[in-house]
Amino acid sequence: MVTEHTAHNADQIIWRVLKWVLALCIAVVAVFPIWWMINVVFSEPGVPVSINPRLYPTSLSSGLSKIHMILTETDYLRAYWITIAYALLTILGVLFIGSMAAFEFALFDFPGKRLIFGLVMLSLMVPSVVTIIPTYLLVAEMGWLNTMQGLVVPGIASAFGLFMLIQFMRSLPMEMIEAARLDGASHFRIYWHIALPLSKNAMVTLAILTFMKTWGNFTWPLIVAPKPDVFTVGQVVGLFNAPFSHQTVDVVMTANLLAALPPLIFFLIFQRKIVEGIAMSGSKG
Amino acid sequence: MNARKHLPHYAMVLPFAALFATFFLYPIASGFYYSFHSWNGANPAVYVGLANYQSVVSSRDFTRAMSNLMLYIAITVPLGISVAFGLALLVDSFRGFWSNFFRSAFFLPVILPAFLAATIWRWMYAPNFGLVNMILGWFDLPSVNFLNDTGTMLYALIAVDIWVSAGFNMVILLAGLKGIPRDLYEAARLDGASKLQQIRYITIPMLAPVLFFVVTYGFISALQVFDVPWLLTGSSFTAYGGRRGALLFPVMDMMGRAFGAVRFGEAAAYGFILTLIIILFTAAMFGLRALRARK
Repeated sequence: MVTEHTAHNADQIIWRVLKWVLALCIAVVAVFPIWWMINVVFSEPGVPVSINPRLYPTSLSSGLSKIHMILTETDYLRAYWITIAYALLTILGVLFIGSMAAFEFALFDFPGKRLIFGLVMLSLMVPSVVTIIPTYLLVAEMGWLNTMQGLVVPGIASAFGLFMLIQFMRSLPMEMIEAARLDGASHFRIYWHIALPLSKNAMVTLAILTFMKTWGNFTWPLIVAPKPDVFTVGQVVGLFNAPFSHQTVDVVMTANLLAALPPLIFFLIFQRKIVEGIAMSGSKG
Repeated sequence: MNARKHLPHYAMVLPFAALFATFFLYPIASGFYYSFHSWNGANPAVYVGLANYQSVVSSRDFTRAMSNLMLYIAITVPLGISVAFGLALLVDSFRGFWSNFFRSAFFLPVILPAFLAATIWRWMYAPNFGLVNMILGWFDLPSVNFLNDTGTMLYALIAVDIWVSAGFNMVILLAGLKGIPRDLYEAARLDGASKLQQIRYITIPMLAPVLFFVVTYGFISALQVFDVPWLLTGSSFTAYGGRRGALLFPVMDMMGRAFGAVRFGEAAAYGFILTLIIILFTAAMFGLRALRARK
């Protein structure tokens, strides 16, 4: 009895040690490429990091001067502002236009609702490969190539965003809305002053997910904004990394690091919301 | 009278519906139209019947892209999901701070845009001085030119891909794990079930709907793989796909036809062919699930 007990304990200890070793190893594999990028940026000039990889950065000033160089001597800063504007405008559009529609779909009935809703939900299943070329042609026809509206507007009617907001708004208290209506509040006022504030949580999550998505969007800007004046961060990073750009690894990684900073900062601040948002997109999709 | 009553509702839905119709429904319809026309974006479109579909399907690049894709999917979907499942179980076995710590660490690659992951790994794969080759050197293994050797290119891509996406699936699976009632495990443990048996007979069946989603979604996104191989192999509309097209994938081929060769009709047809494949696969997945449920 006693020996069996200790054997069981020994098993448990082995299992726990293995578990820790495994988890730590995977964590290193997951984090190391990002850490390596930081090390390459903050390394003393002229020391090729990959031949002699250090586990820690060696020169803060060298990294800062590379960042300074990239921001002042290339078009990186402009790409940064363009991408931020692209992300912010998309977020505003998705939130405002999506929440108005979600408010109606979640809480009210009107003829045609099922048809529109069905079409939008169906679109969640349509792969983007089928629309990307014709959408590009439409945007070109409208004269929107290389413009901010060409980047932003086609992405605003997000079926996923609508779906997420509807799921949330279904649980809004109907009594409150009825009470406001009896008090003579207009439809838009009820949406603006009651539904929106109560949906803050879902809106914030959707805003964060939309930011991550637009910041990381490579394909759409690549085709719709091919002029260097309107390059987004993704395209500039691609440019730095092109096979014949003749950039050294530390300069390329500096460009990469600058592109990685906003999502990294977002992740540090909004970790829980990002994870919840993704978990929700999966379990309900 | 009735219409008037519903007017405020329509007014609120209108912006979304209008954008949706313009930038989703219309492009699908116009894409369908273009797919039967030969068009370079400048000259008037000429009706060519099924010629675009024919020239896509019969081209060598299509065959190459498809065979690359099949191999890629056959490895990356099962492997990626097994890894994600393993990560989820691992994170779930920790409690409190460490559970959060490992979840965040494993999830970190997901928050990087895919284009960044591709550019970081491109340098880590560099021949001779790259980090991966340096590590091989520690073990006295020969240096490999990962992104130029047709024998290793696909595997190099798959490694990046799993590094990027495992954390995403892990988070979805973790949410599923949290939904399994603890007392099921408790009961199984009292009945003397081992850890492996618990996973086999409780975790996997209870997680089936989530696994189904992850597999289907994983397949659909794998079919549309673009950014990472594009950036790993050249990142321009004239140079992509890597040596001997070993990293050529359907969406890259489609983009090349649209913006390199400027054959928009053919590219539109390409999109519909890929969509048909996705629909057929998804239908098969759902059919399979229904069949299993009936048993």
